[in-house]
Amino acid sequence: MISIAIPTGTLLEGSLDILRRAGVTDVDHEEIGRQLMVERDGLRVVLVKPADVPAYVDHGSTDLGIAGKDQLWESDGRHYELLDLRFGGCRLIVAVPESSPLEGPGSWPPTLRVATKYVRSTAAYMAGLGQGVEVVHLHGSVELAPLVGLADAISDLTQTGRTLRENRLRIVAEVDRSTARLVANEASLKRSTGRLQELVTRIRAAVME
Amino acid sequence: MRATQEAILAEMRAWGYRYVVTPTLESLDALGLGLDAEQLRRLFKLTDADGSLLAVVGERTVPVARLVSGRLRGVPLPQRLCYAGPVLTNDPGRFTRRRESYQVGAELVGASGPVADAEVIAMAVRCLDAAGLRRYQVDVGHAEFFQGLLDGLALPADLEPGVRAALARRDFVALEGLLDATPLRSAEHELLLRFPALRGGIEILDAAGRLVRNGRSERALQELARVHDLLRAHGLGDGVSFDLGAIRDFDYYTGVIFEGYGAEGGRPLAQGGRYDRLLARFGRPAPATGFMVHMDRTGEQLRLAGEGPELTRLDAALAWAAAGLEEAVRLSGLLRMFGMRAVVDTGPRRLGGALEWGRALGARHVLHVTGGDRVAWAAGAGRPRRLSAGQVVARLADRAP
Repeated sequence: MISIAIPTGTLLEGSLDILRRAGVTDVDHEEIGRQLMVERDGLRVVLVKPADVPAYVDHGSTDLGIAGKDQLWESDGRHYELLDLRFGGCRLIVAVPESSPLEGPGSWPPTLRVATKYVRSTAAYMAGLGQGVEVVHLHGSVELAPLVGLADAISDLTQTGRTLRENRLRIVAEVDRSTARLVANEASLKRSTGRLQELVTRIRAAVME
Repeated sequence: MRATQEAILAEMRAWGYRYVVTPTLESLDALGLGLDAEQLRRLFKLTDADGSLLAVVGERTVPVARLVSGRLRGVPLPQRLCYAGPVLTNDPGRFTRRRESYQVGAELVGASGPVADAEVIAMAVRCLDAAGLRRYQVDVGHAEFFQGLLDGLALPADLEPGVRAALARRDFVALEGLLDATPLRSAEHELLLRFPALRGGIEILDAAGRLVRNGRSERALQELARVHDLLRAHGLGDGVSFDLGAIRDFDYYTGVIFEGYGAEGGRPLAQGGRYDRLLARFGRPAPATGFMVHMDRTGEQLRLAGEGPELTRLDAALAWAAAGLEEAVRLSGLLRMFGMRAVVDTGPRRLGGALEWGRALGARHVLHVTGGDRVAWAAGAGRPRRLSAGQVVARLADRAP
């Protein structure tokens, strides 16, 4: 049986929807939320935390997974990233308080202090700019950090920019863009007897529609 | 794991491979000749008394190459060598893996072409058999097929590193983005994007052959077809499939490559391939191919399949009481002369306790020696019988494995 890990949270609806549109399987939001694991149409759908999808796939506990690109940035994996599923779009941006004198990259101090959940992506981006950086790793409420003096700026995901505006922050740079991706375990791809490939082809077709 | 390792090494010896021991510590400079920057970064390093850097080996092909071009320089090629040993690497990945793992491998140095390739692949398959695996698959590919595709794409110089990097990361979303930016639409373009799906039987070689338009890929396909014929002669035609989309270290591998996967598990159990450039870096240019088995992953597969190697065999447990000790020791020596494995108890026991003790040890026979002219003997869970010592030895020798 082929298995797929899908993430809780904002990508859940889109994940179930793409499986439905691809004609793979029809699993209801509430059903998977209640049972965490549903087996239907020769497919096992497993509901896990967004950050855990790569772990399930890399270990081979599930053959496939749907994960935000933002989750893939933060850790190396040996999975295959097969498809851009074109939903769940968001941006990783650098933002500063509205009152801050800082603007784009050229205006930053020699060492910028940035609070973020996305330590690796942020550090890599800053290194690419040749910008010195002190990264403060936070696990939530990142918007608060510059307002209480913990950091000069934040690097965080944003979809609509509303949370940023509510916290009187403005965007000064874009680090990267993220969408939902279909990832596959290496060994699963090698072992698959065509069933897995067929499933991927159908999902690809549904994305292209 | 020891038994599995022995079984694999015995198979390798049956193919005429000579067991060699390579050092666990090597000079970092020497390892640097064969490993890429990332592999070097992951080695455990230490400093020698004179300040030079040493490292614990993270794989054993490079040490074997060093051996062939050093101590075995006078030995004519081709050389068939096998090895077994621990390797250590830092793997700062998602999982906290054991840093020490065990690899058993073989190298065929000084022979090029499909004959040598097929020999090593066939031996790898037989080694997985010997390890006791029942369900596994071996996929054969070719590094030159990929290099030919890249040639065929005729990428602008500034795009090629990005394309290689995206493939190395197995990021086909990024790859598609990069290829979309190139004006050319070629068969190679399509093949590269379909890389993960280029797997199948011998028919995949024909299918790919109809699509590619570059000499390098075509020659690679011809070599694979030849390897397929030879594998049939080795009696393996059907057990092996082809994976033209295998992504490996394409700077290191130069020809036929292969990987073995178990029925479960997310990582390959065995990996190998042709690396014709390595030996030259050690001053003895020679084509070479080889493979190694990841013993830890293989052991896990065996456990999952309930096919673990049988528990350590014990033929006889000799318990004793009163004046029986000397006789028990003498008997155990006799049994060992017949090739049996025998254990003598360290303290006296009564018959009932002796039977319990022997069965707990998993011994096939339990003997209880009391110094009289009779010895109590029980086979497995059977009832004990009293026979003379000579009769007991004769019966056990009859049933010796």
